[in-house]
Amino acid sequence: MGLRTKILSGFLILTMMLVVAGIWSIYELTRVGTSVQSMLDDNYKSINAGKMMIEALEREDSAVLLLLSGKWEQGRSIIESGDELFQKGFTIAKNNVTIPGEPAYVDEIDAKYKIYKELWIKPIVDTSREGNLDWYFQEVHQAFQDVKLSVQKLMTLNDYTMYETASALKNRSHRAIMPGIVAIVAALIFTALFNFFSNHYVISPIITTTRAVQDFIETGELPAIQVETQDELHDLVSSVQRLVAKVRTAEASK
Amino acid sequence: MRPHIIFRYVGIVLLLNAVFLLISCVISGFNSDSAFFPLLYTALISALFGVFPLIFVPPTKQIDNKEGFTIVVLSWLLSCLFGVIPYVMWGGEFNFTNAWFESVSGFTTTGSSIITDIEVLPLGLLFWRSATHWIGGIGIIIFVLAVLPHMGTAGMILYRTEMSSLAVDNFRYRSQKTMQILLVIYVGLTLAETICLLLCGMSLFDAVTHSFATIATGGFSPKNASIGYYHSAAVEIVIIVFMILSGIHFGLLFAALIGKPSELWKSSIVRYYLVALAAGVTVVTISVHGSQFHSWANALRSAAFQVISIGTSTGFATADSSIWPPFAQLVMIFFTLQCACAGSTSGGIKVDRMVLFWKALVKRIKKMQHPAAVMVVKIDAVPFEDDEVEMNILFISFYLGIVLLSACILTALGVDMLSAFSGSAATMGNVGPGFGMVGSMSNFSQIPALGKWVLTATMLLGRLEIFGLILFLAARSWK
Repeated sequence: MGLRTKILSGFLILTMMLVVAGIWSIYELTRVGTSVQSMLDDNYKSINAGKMMIEALEREDSAVLLLLSGKWEQGRSIIESGDELFQKGFTIAKNNVTIPGEPAYVDEIDAKYKIYKELWIKPIVDTSREGNLDWYFQEVHQAFQDVKLSVQKLMTLNDYTMYETASALKNRSHRAIMPGIVAIVAALIFTALFNFFSNHYVISPIITTTRAVQDFIETGELPAIQVETQDELHDLVSSVQRLVAKVRTAEASK
Repeated sequence: MRPHIIFRYVGIVLLLNAVFLLISCVISGFNSDSAFFPLLYTALISALFGVFPLIFVPPTKQIDNKEGFTIVVLSWLLSCLFGVIPYVMWGGEFNFTNAWFESVSGFTTTGSSIITDIEVLPLGLLFWRSATHWIGGIGIIIFVLAVLPHMGTAGMILYRTEMSSLAVDNFRYRSQKTMQILLVIYVGLTLAETICLLLCGMSLFDAVTHSFATIATGGFSPKNASIGYYHSAAVEIVIIVFMILSGIHFGLLFAALIGKPSELWKSSIVRYYLVALAAGVTVVTISVHGSQFHSWANALRSAAFQVISIGTSTGFATADSSIWPPFAQLVMIFFTLQCACAGSTSGGIKVDRMVLFWKALVKRIKKMQHPAAVMVVKIDAVPFEDDEVEMNILFISFYLGIVLLSACILTALGVDMLSAFSGSAATMGNVGPGFGMVGSMSNFSQIPALGKWVLTATMLLGRLEIFGLILFLAARSWK
């Protein structure tokens, strides 16, 4: 193999190590970015929707208490805004089903909210229910707790998935960094190895040949030159030896 | 010493590692798991570091003993080092110390692990973990020499350096033929066990990885509960049979295979090995019956598996022997130190040295009785020089000394005495599990970081039979 190929192979190997590691780091970092975005889109949005629904449910619960105490106007206004907020949160959650098992939780919230809403949609003020705390505790509050629990389950599922995604992100960022570190260490060791081989198989034979030629010029004797490889340096030494032989022949014929 | 020649030979070893890394990478790719790139990149780096010296350094068939030792030791060290890369790149529980421990444990066929949950590892990485056993089992250099064409005197020097001196003497063929025998037996046993495990209902992946670990007497399992995961007597019987076979001198197995099965029983080493295992199984069965197992059948089943697993330096488990009675544990610690025959993939002091030691002891006693008598220590009519006997006793003393030193360091680091001693003995003998916090159903994750480095040093000392590593470290004073 020629010297050019040998030296080129060293640089190619070095380049390959760094380029592959670089490409992979970029790929992993891109995936980290995508994961962050999907975590925000998939889980954080659902958790926010859950918070919205719980806020709405609590408002509705307070409104029911106002209706029970006969305050129809305030109660109705709060309950309607609560319902509106709940529907808004529910729509976000329903349109953001991204985790296995999530649709079942959304359906459960829907079913339980319908039962809860059925209880307070009917008139309370000026009916037998006004001031009836037993009815409130046994039916309304129970239904309210059921819906709240279903929403909390949805939030827990998303919380857990978010934690898992964050853990995976940690691993992914580790995998994005590691190729770089490994490539740097490998490149440093490889450079040392490349330097050693270049020195042993290229520089040293050149120095030896130069010294031998100088010795020949000064003393007329050419020391033995050892070249282990069969490349251009071997050809150079052969040429030098032939040249020396010619010079000697020319001098002898004078 | 010529470093460039050493780089050339070590490069070939790295190329062998790259092949196995590439196979692991393909498995990872098929399963679309997260170990694909770590394995691919390590395969690439190993291949590049392996190829580069081949480009620059012209082939040389002449190497001296010093270069031979350096090539062997560096091949082991660099294989372990390159084996670290997929683990650290993958992450999880693997920091550098843990990855180094896992890699050295794999290549030296120790089988001790630091992983608390093995089953979360991707299949590609699990395959690489088992492959390190298989590469290391037969000996990295022997593997290369058996696969590659003739390397002339260089091959012979490397072969004699890598092989245990006891094992070399027992082969009756020239080195190239011996290496081919080794490879045929090694691959044959692996294939046979894989087929048997498949017939027992194991999946192909599990069958291959367990076969790698059994034939190399390694002990890495892709399951947290090791062989206990399968709750299958058939699987246990198959693995017991192959563990016993893997602990026998491969030359004798070859002789048995070509129609001379009596060779096996003619060998006093094999007789002692089998009788010792049978005696160990019997006493441990009696010891664990009642306290651990109510039926004799269950006691025998567990005792047989655990004793043979430890006694062949494999390290698989079906039960937690850490909670067994102290007597049973003591018997198993004896097997942890002794292990199986030279010329097999087993580690430890080896049965051959134990037999030689006892014969030398008997000779010494007789010599004291009859001072004028001329006596020679013989095994199967083969006489041993006093120098060889002395070397044997020196090896055993040195071996026990290193185990004690390692145990002392571990206790100084806060590890309890049983765990420290059994862990040191298990790593030095390339067995795997010890007792206490490093028991058969536990792992080495609780050992302090410095302790893990000490244990990896004992693994390497055990695998290179002590003197290999010492000669390498003392290379500068070796004229």
